[in-house]
Amino acid sequence: MACHNAASPQAKLDLHTQEAALKGGASGPAIVPGDSAKSLLLDKVVSGQMPPGKVKLTATETDVLRQWIDKMPAAATVAVSETEVRGILQARCVVCHGSEKKSAGLDLRTMASRLKGGKSGPALIPGKPEQSPMYKRIADGQMPPEKQAKELAVELPTDAETEKIRAWIAAGAPATTQPSVGMDIEPKDREFWAFQPPKRPAVPTANASNPVDRFLLARLRSKGLSFSPEASKLALLRRAHLDLIGIPPTPAEIKAYLADTAPDAYERLIDKLLSSPHYGERWGQHWLDLAGYSDSEGFGQDDGIRRFAWRYRDYVIRSLNADKPYTTFLTEQLAGDELSNDWRSAKTASPEVIDRLAATGFLRTTPDPTNSNERGLLAERMNVISEELEVLTSSVMGLTVGCARCHNHKYDPIPQRDHYRLSAILQAAYDPYEWRSPNKRELDLAPEDERKEAETINAPIQAELKKLRERMADLAKPFRAQLLDERLKALPEAVREDVRAASATPADKRTDLQKYLATKFKAAIEINDRQLERKYPDYASQAEPLRRELEATRRKMKPVPHVRVLTDNAEPSTHYLLRRGDPASFGEVVEPGTPGILDHPALKPYKPEPPYPGSTGRRLALAKWLTQPNHPLTARVAVNQLWMRHFGRGIVPTVANFGRAGAGPTNPELLDWLSTEFVEKGWSMKAMHRLMMTSRAYRQTSKVDTAVTAADPENALVSRMPLRRMDAETLYDSLVSVAGRLDTKPFGPPAELDIKETKEVSVKATKDGFRRSIYVLHRRQTPVSLMDAFDHPAMTPNCTERRQSNVATQALHMMNGSMTWELARYMAGRVVDDSDGDRARQVELIYLRALSRMPSADEVKTGVEAIQSFKEAWPARLASDNSAAPRTITANWLAVANFCHAILNSAEFSFID
Amino acid sequence: MNKPRTRRDFFSSVTNGLHGAALASLLGGDLYARTSYDLKPQKPHFAGQAKAVIQLFMNGGPSQVDLFDPKPTLTRLAGTAPSRELSFAISNGQAAGVLMPSPYTFKKAGKCGMDISSALPHLAECVDDIAVIKSMYGEHANHEPALFLMHTGRTIASRPAIGAWVTYGLGTENQNLPAYVVLDDPKGLPINGISNWQSAWLPPLYQGTRFRTEGPPVLNLEPRHEIPTPLVEAERNLLRKLDAAHLAARPNQPELDARISSYELAARMQLAASDALDVKKESDATREAYGLNDPQTATYGKRCLMARRLVERGVRFVQLYIEDQIFDSHGNLESSLNYACGKTDKPAAALLKDLKQRGLLDSTLVIWGGEFGRLPMSQGGTGKNAGRDHGPNGFSVWMAGGGVKGGVTYGETDDIGFKSVENRVSVHDFHATILNQLGLRHRDLVYDRHGLSERLTDQFPARVVTEILSKPVVG
Repeated sequence: MACHNAASPQAKLDLHTQEAALKGGASGPAIVPGDSAKSLLLDKVVSGQMPPGKVKLTATETDVLRQWIDKMPAAATVAVSETEVRGILQARCVVCHGSEKKSAGLDLRTMASRLKGGKSGPALIPGKPEQSPMYKRIADGQMPPEKQAKELAVELPTDAETEKIRAWIAAGAPATTQPSVGMDIEPKDREFWAFQPPKRPAVPTANASNPVDRFLLARLRSKGLSFSPEASKLALLRRAHLDLIGIPPTPAEIKAYLADTAPDAYERLIDKLLSSPHYGERWGQHWLDLAGYSDSEGFGQDDGIRRFAWRYRDYVIRSLNADKPYTTFLTEQLAGDELSNDWRSAKTASPEVIDRLAATGFLRTTPDPTNSNERGLLAERMNVISEELEVLTSSVMGLTVGCARCHNHKYDPIPQRDHYRLSAILQAAYDPYEWRSPNKRELDLAPEDERKEAETINAPIQAELKKLRERMADLAKPFRAQLLDERLKALPEAVREDVRAASATPADKRTDLQKYLATKFKAAIEINDRQLERKYPDYASQAEPLRRELEATRRKMKPVPHVRVLTDNAEPSTHYLLRRGDPASFGEVVEPGTPGILDHPALKPYKPEPPYPGSTGRRLALAKWLTQPNHPLTARVAVNQLWMRHFGRGIVPTVANFGRAGAGPTNPELLDWLSTEFVEKGWSMKAMHRLMMTSRAYRQTSKVDTAVTAADPENALVSRMPLRRMDAETLYDSLVSVAGRLDTKPFGPPAELDIKETKEVSVKATKDGFRRSIYVLHRRQTPVSLMDAFDHPAMTPNCTERRQSNVATQALHMMNGSMTWELARYMAGRVVDDSDGDRARQVELIYLRALSRMPSADEVKTGVEAIQSFKEAWPARLASDNSAAPRTITANWLAVANFCHAILNSAEFSFID
Repeated sequence: MNKPRTRRDFFSSVTNGLHGAALASLLGGDLYARTSYDLKPQKPHFAGQAKAVIQLFMNGGPSQVDLFDPKPTLTRLAGTAPSRELSFAISNGQAAGVLMPSPYTFKKAGKCGMDISSALPHLAECVDDIAVIKSMYGEHANHEPALFLMHTGRTIASRPAIGAWVTYGLGTENQNLPAYVVLDDPKGLPINGISNWQSAWLPPLYQGTRFRTEGPPVLNLEPRHEIPTPLVEAERNLLRKLDAAHLAARPNQPELDARISSYELAARMQLAASDALDVKKESDATREAYGLNDPQTATYGKRCLMARRLVERGVRFVQLYIEDQIFDSHGNLESSLNYACGKTDKPAAALLKDLKQRGLLDSTLVIWGGEFGRLPMSQGGTGKNAGRDHGPNGFSVWMAGGGVKGGVTYGETDDIGFKSVENRVSVHDFHATILNQLGLRHRDLVYDRHGLSERLTDQFPARVVTEILSKPVVG
């Protein structure tokens, strides 16, 4: 109680009196009378969170507390407010009595509409609960009707909720609102560096032209260090290629680069790579990691496909290639739909409009189970919203707000209210009370050419389907008649013929009597295929092939092109702070807003305005707020992400947490200079790549000097470049590319997976080879085995930083997997073709393609000898396989393949100097 | 100042005078150095009783009132209509049936005299070694979220499975085998598929590895058959030479060392895994005991036997799944439960006896249970056709070995077995108990994610169920 008393209530909680404890603090009431299990106070004590420090309550003390709470009369509740009652009605009733549907003319959302009531008069009579239908019907169990509740995924009001409605009406139905119980933000909290706009520091004087180097050198010098020597020309070439476009240079590119002896050859290389269309394919994946992109819902065994998710992936790649300013890039992803309403009620749209809509896929990435009403309960919907919020805050804001869903943030000045302010921004697009399930998130809108293409392809298929259906019907006809006869026999003779006639008449042409009969004898006259199959094996055996044909034909249909989007409900439900995150514990009403800690005199506050009728403008306002040039987090978080990808570690190592529990910047001046430079360069990401990659820091060797590692063990000062293993996608794309099997076709629906009987998941080849990893179907349940082994993340919900493991299964995939061997054979074929039988030339070509360098004389010798010896083992094998292939040529080719296979497996291939 | 164990501890101990940023950067070196992970054995937080876990997951939700939790009241009230609360608990839109007693009889078994259903005759012989928790409760009546809850502690799809947490915390004893092995049913993946053993945001190497029960157990374990055998070895030798030269030119790069040794491990795994799963090496008596000669029990029996061979060799966590929600008895209760128990009862009991006889039970924690239980009333028909719907509010699981007391039951459900009412055990309590037996404190098994200490029990209160432990050591 030293902390929780009336004089200085920590977290606004006073535990000196029972009343005060019931009222509670920032996280809601501390005690739920009669229910220790639901009492926050006991929670905190049992879990050891409270009291802080070493001295905890003993088991006996805890038990005393538990018993005291359990024995409290449950009636000792605090007065119920209208806010809370509105929340209960919203959760349980308004799906039928609300904005979209007004069953029996009743709308339960406002005081006025409750008093007005519906067909059976007022729903609310203040002071008289027993005469108020809105209480009475719930208390009697009439409302909500169980069947509809099930269908709409509504849970029944609990007894406690029903009692609250009664108590509120009994108290005269006062229109009070609850006082705000937010956590105060102290002025001292605002001083924390990450909550202050970046200030452009002076560039230190040092002997370097690139300001990045000057900032780094200043710190290195203070430790008596300097940069490591520059890496070799070819090491840099390979590093830059893999870093910027994700595939190694070709022999021709190597040759051209070696021949370029101009002093700015490296700078021009960087420019060339930045303008490559492959740049967006490489850096797009980094962004998709942050967004948590996947082509599937990620829930349940079916792991449903998100058919048009790929438009978002394409949007990202195109935007990066176009070097769209980061501000535009963010705005379109948060609120592309709110930028204009030219898409509404249109059927076709320009690629630009489609792109802008598809961009909203950023907030549609998390695993989502709500397609079925059984799994679409409020709690699940809230989870989806909360995870979307996590994606947004971890990737763009460098803040952790997930914990504030249930309580005030432990380390950062982020009260629970701020979590709900942020989720209120999403409320109009993700309204948990009037939910749009995943299968309703597509707009029937597409580029003209795609629509035409689908129509052209589908027209003949539809004709064929129609024929097949007619054949099915013809086949079933006599069996149907037979079954109907049998069933009619069981009916009283008097009605038999009338029922038969009713059955034969189409539903819309039946007389009233026939309608009655059809309803009454529904069980007799409704016949489905399954029943026929069960009854008549003859029918079953004839129908089966037809059905299979029908199914196969149906599968040939091209899906009607749509866009997967995030758009607003014009009238979002009231948004509540949910105590302890519980969807049934309504706290104060919260308006959309941004975290209070980021209110700053230099920043324009968050202010939503509808861009057009039908959208709230909440997300657009967020985008405007985030993209202000002096926002404390936006530019910092973005440049830190870029820095981490280039240098292996962020200036703030905890890239997704710039808060107090994060690690803090190792070089704050550099971070702030880069952030302000980013803004000055028009938020150009390519300008930042250029700046970072042309620094001396980036060009350092990765060779380790033990004196340097002793002084800078974590490489926090960037005293060298880290040696790095390729990530999963770089490895996959590089394997395909050096083998000459890269299908460079960009964009569109993803490449399909090939799931073998062994459960190995690989990618189906196209006629031109293998598409890049970013264009492969990303399904959470069936990751590509090779990439999975190399730490491809599962997107739960997103991935702000890759982790790297070194395990034996990686070696198994590379040594024994079908993919590397197949690619080694392709590669060998090319090499043999290009080498005119010259072994040494073969070894050189393999080194050039795979390792981006020429082999030494020793390496050539080793390689030539290896291939020669490999060649000897093949003829016997070919003979025992009875292979018709020409022996000598085949053995020669496969021996080269063995050598390629070993090189692709070498550490040098998958590690980047 | 003592070195804080976790960031959370650290920040809880920060006094008002010392502020976050400076200290966080002081700590930075310590806490963020770890960017690379391996499976080397790690010291537990304290000396635990169990070294390994075998989880016999009973997909579908086994019916507690028909297996472990006899309810005479249910017999007395047979045929009466359920309350509104009960009838709303039926989840699939069918009208609720009537209160339905168990078609099975319960007998007192073992020295302890535990009540056990006639559906589980083999387990009845082992009751002196198991502790049944009768008061489990979950949060959700649907398979997917309930499975996530049982495996990850939350009903959402985004968190690491308990097996991943355990291997993250303890590594493994045998580097030639995966640390965390999943023996899923050859007939197909369970609901939620591979997410049941996902590492989520824990480093991917902690995810479960599926072992197939026929053919090579691990994907790509064996060299490609197209490549002549002598060339497999010749290629490996060449690779060793190339890598050695590469490494020699790059001293002090631990990542490169690790990668080269992983290739050596891969070669050893080929032998180790094939050996571990070769049940032909077992005696006829053992094979018979596990039911390998009976088509009804053969596939599950084989996996139970494999599980024993795996923990014997130092694998940390083995998870067994059973076909197609076999315990999901929506209709034909008796025949459906007979089928499920017929497949699993004998092998599971054989596993317990076998572990015990080999002295492995003391160090192996065996867990049996599904994602929820079932409701006391009927559904989907009458008489023999009737089944039971999902019941997350009260259900039974059992544990054995690894320091768990035998011959005891813990907790109670209400008179009809709908809700657990006495000594209730949450899924978090259940998880904390499993971790505790391995010497891991659930509050200290943390992973730094976005600067926050994540843990299996999240921020939920959780207590170790000491009442079922032979030596109630709580770390």
